[in-house]
Amino acid sequence: MNQIIGTSVSRKDGRVKVTGEATYGAEHQIPGLVHGYLVTATIANGRIHNIDTKEAEDNPGVIAVFTHRNQPKIFQPSNGFFGLYESRLPLADDLIHYAGQIVGLVVANTLERARDAAHLVKVQYQTEQPQVEAQKATYQKAPSLFGEDFEFQEGTFETGDFSIASSDAAAKTEATYTTEIEIHAPMEPHALVAHWENQDSVTVYEPTQWVKGSQRTYAELLGIPVEGVRIISPYIGGAFGSKAFPWPHGILCVAAAREIQRPLKVVVSRRQMTANTGHRSQTEQTMRLAANKDGKLKAIEHTAKTCTSPVKNFPEPCTGITPVLYATPNMRLKQEIAVLNVGAPTFMRAPGENPGMFALESAMDELAWELNIDPVELRLRNETKEHQRKKLPFSAKHFAECLKTGAEKFGWSQRQMQPRSQKQGDLLVGWGMASSAFPALRSSAEAQVRLLPDGTAHVLTSANDMGTGAYTVVAMTAAETLGLPVAKVKVELGDSVLPNGGMAGGSQMTATLTPAVLAACQKVLETANAQNAPEAFANLRESGRAAYEATASSAPSEESKKFAFNSWGAHFCEVTVDEEIARLRVTRWVSVINIGRVLNSKTAASQIRGAVIMGIGQALMEECHFDPNTGYPVVYDLATYHYPAHADIPRIEVNFVGEPDFNFNPMGVRGVGEIGITGVSAAVSNAVYHATGKRIRSLPITPDKLL
Amino acid sequence: MKNFAYVRPNSVEDAVSRATSDRDALFIAGGTNLVDRLKVFLDEPSQLLDVSRLAMKQIATTNEGGLKIGALVTNTALANNIDVRNNYPLLSRAILAGASQQIRNMATVGGNLMQRTRCPYYYDTAFPCNKRQPDTGCPAATGINRIHAILGSSDRCVAVNPSDMSVAMVALDATLEVQGVEGKREIPFVDFHRLPGNTPERDTNLEPGELITAVILPPVSFAQSGVYLKLRDRASYAFALVSVATALEVSGEQIKNARIALGGVAHKPWRATEAEEFLIGKAANKSNFEQAAEIALKDAQALAHNGFKIELSKRAIRRALAVSAQGGGEA
Ligand SMILES: Cc1cc2nc3c(=O)[nH]c(=O)nc-3n(C[C@H](O)[C@H](O)[C@H](O)COP(=O)(O)OP(=O)(O)OC[C@H]3O[C@@H](n4cnc5c(N)ncnc54)[C@H](O)[C@@H]3O)c2cc1C
Repeated sequence: MNQIIGTSVSRKDGRVKVTGEATYGAEHQIPGLVHGYLVTATIANGRIHNIDTKEAEDNPGVIAVFTHRNQPKIFQPSNGFFGLYESRLPLADDLIHYAGQIVGLVVANTLERARDAAHLVKVQYQTEQPQVEAQKATYQKAPSLFGEDFEFQEGTFETGDFSIASSDAAAKTEATYTTEIEIHAPMEPHALVAHWENQDSVTVYEPTQWVKGSQRTYAELLGIPVEGVRIISPYIGGAFGSKAFPWPHGILCVAAAREIQRPLKVVVSRRQMTANTGHRSQTEQTMRLAANKDGKLKAIEHTAKTCTSPVKNFPEPCTGITPVLYATPNMRLKQEIAVLNVGAPTFMRAPGENPGMFALESAMDELAWELNIDPVELRLRNETKEHQRKKLPFSAKHFAECLKTGAEKFGWSQRQMQPRSQKQGDLLVGWGMASSAFPALRSSAEAQVRLLPDGTAHVLTSANDMGTGAYTVVAMTAAETLGLPVAKVKVELGDSVLPNGGMAGGSQMTATLTPAVLAACQKVLETANAQNAPEAFANLRESGRAAYEATASSAPSEESKKFAFNSWGAHFCEVTVDEEIARLRVTRWVSVINIGRVLNSKTAASQIRGAVIMGIGQALMEECHFDPNTGYPVVYDLATYHYPAHADIPRIEVNFVGEPDFNFNPMGVRGVGEIGITGVSAAVSNAVYHATGKRIRSLPITPDKLL
Repeated sequence: MKNFAYVRPNSVEDAVSRATSDRDALFIAGGTNLVDRLKVFLDEPSQLLDVSRLAMKQIATTNEGGLKIGALVTNTALANNIDVRNNYPLLSRAILAGASQQIRNMATVGGNLMQRTRCPYYYDTAFPCNKRQPDTGCPAATGINRIHAILGSSDRCVAVNPSDMSVAMVALDATLEVQGVEGKREIPFVDFHRLPGNTPERDTNLEPGELITAVILPPVSFAQSGVYLKLRDRASYAFALVSVATALEVSGEQIKNARIALGGVAHKPWRATEAEEFLIGKAANKSNFEQAAEIALKDAQALAHNGFKIELSKRAIRRALAVSAQGGGEA
């Protein structure tokens, strides 16, 4: 049989993307389409005293202006409903909870006219002092997330005092680490087109990581049956967690389109996106570690403070990864949360693990220095065989191999231990490393396979490809199972009429979907009474049937409940620092990752590279600030919200190690995506310490912090 | 946004006369700054006078041995011009340190010198701003002011000029040639941009209706020693936190001539004349460079978040001078 899985295949959707043929949500042209432009709050706390839409309504081309006084019909979702980023419905009332909150929607026959008229809507506010400063906020115990409580304690902390657990420790470290607000800033902005074909059915062209979820949410909020909503989302120009559920602008667009009885497009501007389509909360974390002389951890205490919004209670789950990484008899985890006048924080590439591991992996580095033990060695000595909260053994864990292979590929043994000891001309050179880890998630999914007389196979499922390479791995899975070349497999994704392919979130798409594709392929061959597709095509022609088709689903097995599943990795990097002028560059990068079986070495490596780049952005430059007086973000576009340019990024070497994880699923694959960003910022900061002797515990490491 | 007329004047005179008779008209050249501003309602012109097709695209050698650069020469063309690269390497480097290749392909000399501040409070009409609307206040002074001015600001405005090219021009003692209805006049580059004082709405001393037609560079015998050092939050495609242009003429042990200009620190490209004077006659060594840096920043004042720029500027000056003393190049 042809060997396709594990080879390097260019993405199937590459050509249509680079030629512009791929049609993204807001690019759908529908006759009679009109444009909506959002009016957003310029204060961060208070209420609308008066809103004057007269001038806007009188402007040429204006079709409608919606405010809280004429909210288009939106239904309250049922109890326990979670398919929304903001709990508050758009235009629900006159209250303002954060700057950038939607207070109106102006609809006109052109975008320019809509934008112009939106600028003419005059809102008078009753303003109250907003709170946007994390340092000044009041914190309380964080709520649980996905049923997991953040409070956790094991071992001896009887008096609530860390010193008990660590009394006879050889080394102790305690430090506080902070990270700033980051915004997702995907290349494709948040944008959609809503088209009502009749009173009970609407098609929504919108980038969404979860078409079936969006379908349900819209149906519920619009008061129509689920089948009445069709979501079309074949391409997504980046999401990173910010396109999993409908945002208020989407709900408003679909509801307003029903009211005006025309296809309506709403595009959120870059400026607006800094405030109302999600961000990662700032974090403040205190790590206390205690260890024996040999480096064995005696105690870990990890406390985190994060912030949320009046319109959503979302704790950034920083402490979740700590019990996964290092073994210790005494562990205490705690999280607190404060409400600020900001938009809803949400999932952003490795929510929790990412900032959590900045703290943990920086602290481990500090401990290594304290003990005078190599940081790679310190991690190896503390590896845990089981998940310390779930009390389950890890399946197919190759963490140590990641560390060792990474050290070897990087040339870690050449490292001169002392900070400030490596030089390259006048530049200080630093080497740093950090572990990488992310849980392996899997849900159930369904896929359909059709074999057609023209010798092609079609795979159909509602799952989507948000730039990750899903089209390609689905095609590869089908091609290998059916005995066809990849080019003969056509993949259709991102449409809610297709079988439920699950959600592209939590890096679970490949692990969730490919087993279903495998099962559907096997089933269609059975139906065709054939060993492979060429045989099936012969049978098909003989039988005169139009097609063979089969649908199959796949879900986590009972057997899999005996294990904890996680992906692993290690990052090694080099930085140079021109100390006098505070100029820092990342000059070398090696990542070694264990994700079970690698389906497509090319797109898998791309996932890691993209994540490392995003992590370098977090380490060095990304931060969204809010004006302390008005609560309005002072970052307004992609020139003011810095993320890495090419010049900031060195060659990134990516290696995979390990074996197929068949305990997890029949394909042996775990997800690859978010794992790549975890540990990146710590690796950079650890390298900066090695270069300069300066420990920078607050991200991003901008020039001012290096002076 | 009001509707506006789009007009292509057929000559410099035509452009100037239209702009003079209509105070709400605006010139547009490459459009890379103005179009962005129009979209967010920072400018609401009555008409756009598209000057981009006028004949101001030459780079010519002057009788004195300098260069006369037409106002419509693109940033890319100027940076890559062989005379500029050979005789004014610091100008070429300053331009290439700015924006992106795509933007530089469109951007013109005149437009670059006239680009407006990137102060986020200026950039969003949700905020009051004395520069945008006189007498409404300056929220940047008490807000997030990490990128704001440390020199020459007023209580009405703490914005900085974002142009890299201007820093090089001011260091090279350039002169602007401008045309009004009354005819041409010349403005020394140092006097072109203004400090905010009580009128932050005015960036420059260009009179209403006047069009920049050219920039004239005098010959600078020691321009080879030119350095442009730009320090910023990412390696490329970011405005300067601090930038420094330097050049030195050193003969034997002694400094004969010195140029120091700073960007990203004030409402105008900042020429550090006193520091230059200090250096003349002194040895080109570290301690003199340190003192020059101290002198250049002696009047600097920090706001809540930009104090680091004072130290960063000093270090950048020291470094740039050291490289200039070695004969110039990348710093
Ligand atoms: C994302 C981004 C990043 C950037 N980064 C940098 C950077 O790092 N460094 C930097 O220096 N610049 C940077 N720029 C700014 C860029 O250099 C300017 O936008 C450009 O130089 C403006 O030139 P233009 O011809 O497009 O001007 P336009 O946008 O056409 O005009 C700008 C202004 O100049 C006026 N004007 C134009 N020509 C004349 C003339 N002949 N006489 C009188 N007035 C005139 C116009 O009326 C207008 O007010 C950046 C821009 C962007 C968008």
